[in-house]
Amino acid sequence: MNEYSHPVTLLCMITLQELDSLATLARIKLTDADKSSLIKEFDSILSYVDQLKKVDVSLDTDGRVGAVRNVTRSDEVVKISASDREGLLNEAPDREGDFIAVKKMIEQ
Amino acid sequence: MKIDLKTLTIQKAHEALQKGDFTSVQLTQAYLDEIKAKNKDVNAYLEVFADAIEQANEADKRITESKKVKSSNTDKGTDFPLLCGIPSGIKDNILIQGRIASAASKLLENYHATYDATVIAKLKAESAVFLGRLNMDEFAMGGSTENSAYGVTKNPYDLSRVAGGSSGGSAAAVAMQGALFTLGSDTGGSIRQPASFCGVVGLKPTYGAVSRYGVMAMGSSLDQIGPIANTVTDCEIIFKAIKGKDIKDGTTIDESTYDTNSRIHANAMKNTNKKMVIGVPRDFLKGDGIDSAVLKSFNEALETFKAKGYEVCDISLPNISYSLMVYYVLMPAEVSSNMARFDGVKYGLHKDGATVIEDYFESRKAGLGKEVIRRILLGTYVLSSGYYDAYYNRANAVRQMITDDFLKAFESVDIIATPTAPSTAFKIGEKTNDPVAMYLEDIFTVTANLTGLPAISIPCGYKEEMKGKLPIGLQLTARHGDEQALFIAGKDFLGEV
Repeated sequence: MNEYSHPVTLLCMITLQELDSLATLARIKLTDADKSSLIKEFDSILSYVDQLKKVDVSLDTDGRVGAVRNVTRSDEVVKISASDREGLLNEAPDREGDFIAVKKMIEQ
Repeated sequence: MKIDLKTLTIQKAHEALQKGDFTSVQLTQAYLDEIKAKNKDVNAYLEVFADAIEQANEADKRITESKKVKSSNTDKGTDFPLLCGIPSGIKDNILIQGRIASAASKLLENYHATYDATVIAKLKAESAVFLGRLNMDEFAMGGSTENSAYGVTKNPYDLSRVAGGSSGGSAAAVAMQGALFTLGSDTGGSIRQPASFCGVVGLKPTYGAVSRYGVMAMGSSLDQIGPIANTVTDCEIIFKAIKGKDIKDGTTIDESTYDTNSRIHANAMKNTNKKMVIGVPRDFLKGDGIDSAVLKSFNEALETFKAKGYEVCDISLPNISYSLMVYYVLMPAEVSSNMARFDGVKYGLHKDGATVIEDYFESRKAGLGKEVIRRILLGTYVLSSGYYDAYYNRANAVRQMITDDFLKAFESVDIIATPTAPSTAFKIGEKTNDPVAMYLEDIFTVTANLTGLPAISIPCGYKEEMKGKLPIGLQLTARHGDEQALFIAGKDFLGEV
């Protein structure tokens, strides 16, 4: 096998329950048709990336990319103009005054 | 006068604006005419800005003003910027204040950007003209622009074929003379592969070279913004205009971030006229998934370099064959995190459910396309407890091994060459039902994103087809921070002086 081909697997690597649980975690509603095609696609993708298990990984990684390191910003409140605030609020699907409106979450 | 857009470059346009051969309004109108004639077939633009001429008019005023200052000055005087009055197109995931930025998704169909991306602010400072926003795969996820919620972008060379992706609109717009340059974003090849398919030049800069503030994040450890244009020289001009450290993007680098070995080398080369050494990972090009016409063109390109005095040698990158697998673990993981912000509450599409939680489910289902959902779920899977070590951690470790391989290779070569993509532009619909086949399109391009190295795709030939010819792209990769090596070699190859 070479790196351009991908093996056909007969194993079903992800179960319907697992998929349901992932969809719940990711807040995505799936239809039954979505699920059956996703299970097949997951099998094909996972059997491809599973070849990573062959690699001898002895190296500790610190998640770096080249010489780049993350830089944190200073912990200060950044003031924005009233018009910028208005622009941001206007993008919200629903607002009440200067608040973004959502459904009631807490029962009294 | 009729402006010859086919042979126009930024430098030529700048000189013509300076001499008064044409105005920015006339130049902008010439591009708008091309867009009007071709975009209904190609679908590169999602929107053409109604105020493009007005922007050009402002640029013309600045040009006139600078000429006045210049003529009243005995010195050289002030000049107007190179990109002043130059018409451009912008990928739809880059924010321009007040305009829609949809990322070609239904979820952001009516979203108006509330601020300018840093790259846009830089182009505005030069008075570049924005012609419109360009089609792409939804949220930049795809390799063919078929995942756009607003229809596929077709290849200007053959309308039955894809333009590549995800920056398909950005590449097709330049290829159809619908803009002098465009901006795209590249997470796994999304600038270079469409540039290759459309016969234009596309640059993915070093990770951190260009600020991503105001660009919709996809894979945050992979994403870069870069230019697409007709020539290497044009890409160099745009890169220099948009790069630089930005306080609003903590991952941006400055000139001192990477050691200057490569720059010292480049300078020594200039002095001694010594050409660079090009390494070829020959073992990686032996798979049967690579089109023979692409391989032939690639080998001819190497001969061209040799004839120009470059040294070409084989190199070994022992772990490179794992690149795509690493990418398809890390990228979805980052996608699933970045896409969590779209909840239908703060901005974007909102669909009502019975409860707040159900609002999320309904809004995301209604707004997001199949490929985006697939990647979110895949990312959630590889990050979930029990699989995290097997996938995410392992992929990160292999990523570092691949990077180390490249850095070692760069101890003996200046540039690494591969084809940009294993094939030429494929038929629309050919790969839509097989995600892995689509993912394999990225086999040569993902390495630059995993390693953070700069890479450029330049046209190197054509494949003859029944219906005409299809462009082939050559990819050159250089050391971190050494875009200059790519520009020198690219210009040499294309005969640009």
